[in-house]
Amino acid sequence: MSLFALLLLPFAGSLLTAVLPTRARTALAACAGLVAAVAAARVVSLYPQIRDGGVIRETVSWVPSLGLDLTLRVDGFAWMFALLVTVIGALVCLYARYYMSPDDPVARFYAFFLAFMGAMLGVVFSGNLVQLVVFWELTSVVSFLLIGYWHHHVDARRGARMALTVTGAGGLALLGGVLVLGHIVGSYDLDVVLGSGALIRSHALYPVALVLVVVGALTKSAQFPFHFWLPRAMAAPTPVSAYLHSATMVKAGVFLLARLWPVLSGTEWWFWLLCGAGASTLLLGAFIAMFQNDLKRVLAFSTISHLGLITLLFGLNSPLAAVAGVFHIMNHATFKASLFMAAGIVDHETGTRDIRRLNGLMRSMPRTGTLALVASGAMAGVPLLNGFLSKEMFFAEAVFLTAHPTVEVGLPLLATLAGVFAVVYSLRFGYEIFFGEPSTDLPRHPEEPPGWMLKPVELLVVACLVVGVAPSISIGPLLAAAARPVVGGDLPEYHLAVWHGFGAPLVMSLLAIVGGVVGYLWLRSHQRSGRLNETPFFERFNGRRLFESGLVTATRLARRALRLVSSRRLQAQMFTIIGVAILLALLAARGVPLVWGDRERLPASHEFVLLWVIGMVCAVGAAVMAKFHRLVATTLMGGAGLVTALTFLWFSAPDLALTQLVVEVVTTILFLLGLRWLPMRLHDPSRRTTMRDRVRRGRDLLLAVGAGAGLAALSYALLTRPAPQSISPFFLDRALPEGGGTNVVNVMLVDFRAFDTIGEITVLGAVALTVYALLRRFRPPAESIGRPQQQRVLPSDVVTDLVKPRATGERAGGYMMVPATIARLLLPFSFVVAAHFLLRGHNEPGGGFVAGLVVAIAYLTQYVFSGTRWAEGRAHLLPPRWIAVGLLLAATTGLGAVAVGYPFLTSHTAHFTLPLVGEVHLPSAMFFDLGVFAVVVGATLLILTALAHQSIRAHRPPAPNKRTEAS
Amino acid sequence: MSLGHLVAVPVVLPLVTAALLVLLGEKRRRARTLLNVGATLAGLAVAATLLWRIDAGGVPGAIGVYLGSNWEAPFGVVLVADRLTALMLALVGVVGFGVALYAEAGWHRAGVYFHPLFQIQLMGLNGAFLTGDLFNLFVFFEVMLAASYGLQLHGSGGPRVASGLHYIAVNLLASSLFLVGLATIYGVMGTLTMADIAAKLPSVPADDRGLLHAGMAILAVAFLVKAATWPLNAWLVPAYTAASAPIAALFALMTKVGVYVLVRLWTLFFSHGGPSDDFGGPVLLCGGLATVVFGALGLLSSLSLGRIAAFSIVVSSGTLLSALGMGTAAVTSAALFYLVSATLAVSALFLLVELVGRMGVDGQGRLSDVEPGEDTNLDDEEVPLVGRAFPVSIALLGLAFVCAALIVAGLPPLAGFLAKVALLSAVLQAEAPTAGAWWILALLLLSGFVATLSLSRAGIRHFWSTGNRLPPDVKLVEAVPVVALLGACVLLTVYAEPVLRFTGATASGLHAPGAYIEAVLTTKPRPGPTRPGPEGAP
Repeated sequence: MSLFALLLLPFAGSLLTAVLPTRARTALAACAGLVAAVAAARVVSLYPQIRDGGVIRETVSWVPSLGLDLTLRVDGFAWMFALLVTVIGALVCLYARYYMSPDDPVARFYAFFLAFMGAMLGVVFSGNLVQLVVFWELTSVVSFLLIGYWHHHVDARRGARMALTVTGAGGLALLGGVLVLGHIVGSYDLDVVLGSGALIRSHALYPVALVLVVVGALTKSAQFPFHFWLPRAMAAPTPVSAYLHSATMVKAGVFLLARLWPVLSGTEWWFWLLCGAGASTLLLGAFIAMFQNDLKRVLAFSTISHLGLITLLFGLNSPLAAVAGVFHIMNHATFKASLFMAAGIVDHETGTRDIRRLNGLMRSMPRTGTLALVASGAMAGVPLLNGFLSKEMFFAEAVFLTAHPTVEVGLPLLATLAGVFAVVYSLRFGYEIFFGEPSTDLPRHPEEPPGWMLKPVELLVVACLVVGVAPSISIGPLLAAAARPVVGGDLPEYHLAVWHGFGAPLVMSLLAIVGGVVGYLWLRSHQRSGRLNETPFFERFNGRRLFESGLVTATRLARRALRLVSSRRLQAQMFTIIGVAILLALLAARGVPLVWGDRERLPASHEFVLLWVIGMVCAVGAAVMAKFHRLVATTLMGGAGLVTALTFLWFSAPDLALTQLVVEVVTTILFLLGLRWLPMRLHDPSRRTTMRDRVRRGRDLLLAVGAGAGLAALSYALLTRPAPQSISPFFLDRALPEGGGTNVVNVMLVDFRAFDTIGEITVLGAVALTVYALLRRFRPPAESIGRPQQQRVLPSDVVTDLVKPRATGERAGGYMMVPATIARLLLPFSFVVAAHFLLRGHNEPGGGFVAGLVVAIAYLTQYVFSGTRWAEGRAHLLPPRWIAVGLLLAATTGLGAVAVGYPFLTSHTAHFTLPLVGEVHLPSAMFFDLGVFAVVVGATLLILTALAHQSIRAHRPPAPNKRTEAS
Repeated sequence: MSLGHLVAVPVVLPLVTAALLVLLGEKRRRARTLLNVGATLAGLAVAATLLWRIDAGGVPGAIGVYLGSNWEAPFGVVLVADRLTALMLALVGVVGFGVALYAEAGWHRAGVYFHPLFQIQLMGLNGAFLTGDLFNLFVFFEVMLAASYGLQLHGSGGPRVASGLHYIAVNLLASSLFLVGLATIYGVMGTLTMADIAAKLPSVPADDRGLLHAGMAILAVAFLVKAATWPLNAWLVPAYTAASAPIAALFALMTKVGVYVLVRLWTLFFSHGGPSDDFGGPVLLCGGLATVVFGALGLLSSLSLGRIAAFSIVVSSGTLLSALGMGTAAVTSAALFYLVSATLAVSALFLLVELVGRMGVDGQGRLSDVEPGEDTNLDDEEVPLVGRAFPVSIALLGLAFVCAALIVAGLPPLAGFLAKVALLSAVLQAEAPTAGAWWILALLLLSGFVATLSLSRAGIRHFWSTGNRLPPDVKLVEAVPVVALLGACVLLTVYAEPVLRFTGATASGLHAPGAYIEAVLTTKPRPGPTRPGPEGAP
């Protein structure tokens, strides 16, 4: 089985368990346990290859261009970790079979559990730093799902989120650190990085990389100041805690420190960062652990403290300390996993984990009690157990360290103090619940758990004992193999033995034990009298509370900041866009010459100036009246449009003038029709204009004047330029010989740039469909359903001739008869005019667009003068069909060219002679123009009908406070 | 290798389909559904073929030039398909297909003319990616926007109309700026073909340069509005959250059009030597970074899933703009990879928003819900802890959500993470990383963190909150698009190497635009009856 198969095995198992029946707990546990056991067996079989410092590598190419290949690399250290991961994993599977309730849907549990095992194996096997980050974050994500397994509990949800947040953030920091390391070394490959220690440590970016990597490691290993997530993660089912929070996930941080020890260690930065974090965590964790009343929380803080110890050992920059660190990783995993399982058994059998309520359990569950006692002895560092050995090594390092004087004195003191605390909390865990008067008020009657549930605990406790009694035989070679790669290949001199002679370390151990027992008795007497039930002093600096309130504060602040930097109001958005446009335009032109052109200026004539004065008055008037009198504003807008049309005519652009004219007519009429349905202007006479309003208006005026002046200057600068590079002469030259028409504008529309035209008519069609779709659902406000105000103020005896659309059968009568009749008479003439414009378009001013609008205007007048019902009763217009046919006509004309091998929209002019008519030039663009015509007619009429139907539609009374079909 | 008429198909096919759909009317539902989905699928196939054939065409010659109306480049309208275009077309194809399918579950009946407007939208998107002419780009922008107005308002209702009218107003203003910029550039350069402008840019007289730069800046503002750059992006979140689910998923593409145009024009105009080189780079970088910060703030402040998805669009836009501001081929290559993964994932997320919402849990929570309670001893309740089983549909929905969230937040192991690693390692690749590089590094990591925070919060609220959850009613046509979009992301992860090779070739083509310019300007029209043969410009 290759390493890849080994890595994939848990993931495959995860998929398998996910599809098994969700409550088949025996089958699920067997399946998961088998997977773990097979993996463990395979890991064990790798031992000969790595025993003497060998390294197994396997690589699969993934993204080589990023320097990211899947590289599995197993050396002694990775092997030791893989062994812990798989063996403890198998034991926990067995344990969980009995721990989880028969009603629990455990398929999800085992699926996540195995996925986690795979992710963890991925971390330890990674031979590439980016790949390590991949699996690292995967462990965070899966642990999130595992902690939140009992997601209906608020604790589980919060704990899961906190764990994900802290470790996920650390993972991102680690990613940053890895990227910087890769930048320094030029590769993410672990072997290359491990070989470039000197380069890295001397690089200017070393502190950046170090801090980022260390933050990643500290968050994962729950080190101060990121320690607060681990106790909250105890909301997870106990098997999860036994696995993730003792042996595997939290060890990933110290794994990383050990992994990069040869590269990153040996500097002041490393020493102070890690020793600072490690020492404070060691002490803080142990201190808080003494005051916890929940069994699992005692263990959680004890884990934090022990991980602090390991971090401290790696931070000491001494190979011997690093070996001690590796040793303690192994020891801690064994005793802490067994303790978690024991805590779970107690919880399972008694129904509570409260130390204050649990007493004298030795009588009802002697085997569990004995095992827990031995394991907590190991945790406290009692001789003849494995915890003692690594603690002795730590004490020795603390004493013999040569460093700054304060460190030389402070460290042994700190070590002893931490030892005292450890003994106290171990006694609280081991002694307090199993001895004394048996409790009577437990939720359940305690008894020994099933034999198989205890087996994993027994196995681990036996391991603690064996290692503690005969270390050099049992664990010696393993430790050597595991520690060798960590210290860079050359193991320092060390001696694994229970008895090292009478020296300072032993004194410290004894002091710790004696002090611990005394401290425990003192604490117990205080707690019995109701004092010291909460952690003194540190209760106020609750990292968890800070985290959660920090999150809420951050959310609030983000909301406030968001309101500050963006607005939901349209005016403010428009202001920003125009302001930014002016600003960027000015910025862009900075530093390069910005001058007027040197084209010859034409003198202005009086008539033209007068024309433009009128136009400008119209435009400004429209803007002024837009708020107060919409009808006037619309009319003035039309006036400005007419002046534009006249300007075009003045400068010999008849095509543009014609188009502008008809467009003005159509848009003005449509606007006028729409005005009817606009709500009344909200007018609050009591509201006074404040200073703030004035400032805002002044600001807006300034922007408007600035933008207008800017645009005027821009146009002036452009119009005064001769444009020597322009391509326009080409069009004048080619329009007739190759485009087949003398009207260059039309030839451009239907030939040169027909692609634009087909897009534009699509826009027209889309807008018409949108307006129709929107207005179909439109329900006018109540106040505009009745007669318009102008009609209501008429004296009742005055008879109006206006069409009343809602009253059926009515038609134009009275004085409206005259325009209605004229409009009807004009209809056929307008068809003739439109046909004229359409047919001559290619050579003279005109074209499909203008023709379409002429027809549309003719129909508009029918609607206006004779009413919707009358008009629709006599003509089946079906505007959407006009649009569709027009688009199809234009597209098929274009495709016709494709059929004969030319690009889309290529035009061709056929010349032939018809009897009677004579010679005929039939450009294919004619059909294209016909399509344009149809779309224009259809789109205008569709918008018209959408507006017109408002007045004949039956109106539902508006439902109060209920929006129609809010999403 | 000539691509022939294939280049024009992505524009013509949706146009004809839209016209036919209008002709079919509102009655024949089945026929419309078949036509709409079929045409979208055909569009996807065409895009895939283009992508494949352009990539197979080798590094220099992989540019398909199509002379609309058979007029040579600076005079007619030219469509150009290079690698970048093909990539974007394929993206439109995938997302469009997903959306078309999803909408068939019922959204298409929420109002009239959904199908034709949808096809016109596709036509606008495809045209904007294909065109090589600045005015034609404006036309396709309008096509795209006109359809998007209708689609955004599709389904009607108060919030939609309110945000929709803002959306329309803002985009009309942006279009006006587009025209102003366009006119200025035409006034100075006398030409509208992008390649021709790029070719003539070095020879613009110094006296005209100020005007030209001002025009470019105004033009850029139009695209920056579209790309949702802060402070021009206040319109995005209300409009996208109010839009119906499939439309919001489609709109995830729309911001990318703004980014695409900026990438296209900036690399074409300002990356090949000349006095205007590196014009606007710092503005893009700063704007991009500010946008990332804005998006991250939005993510942090949002509880509802829809807003989170909308703000993650803002974040991805900002990331892309700042990457473009760095102005190196390596960063552009990584940014393109990021673009693909981010677009697919956010589209999927928008679809998921609706499906998740159907579980009946209100995402629009009060702030007090996240208030920390007093912590209690863990076993105070003394109830036996028994887990709750998830119905299969919720479990699968949860899985899809986790996948989408991982990609959006850039967490391993999916494509989002690879994109982030590619982007950051490219940014750091320079000998001495600039301040901009460090800012990108810091803000990208930070925004990833905020996204994790926000998505996990939303996920917990929807999947884990107390109370039993009824399985949502998810139809097959709704599940398939989500799976397809996420599946595409998974494929992107597995085949990251070939994709990165492709984006690398794309980026090097973009940053050395000589081949593009030459291909456009040297393509000759086909001789015909009135066109005796290839001639030079007058």
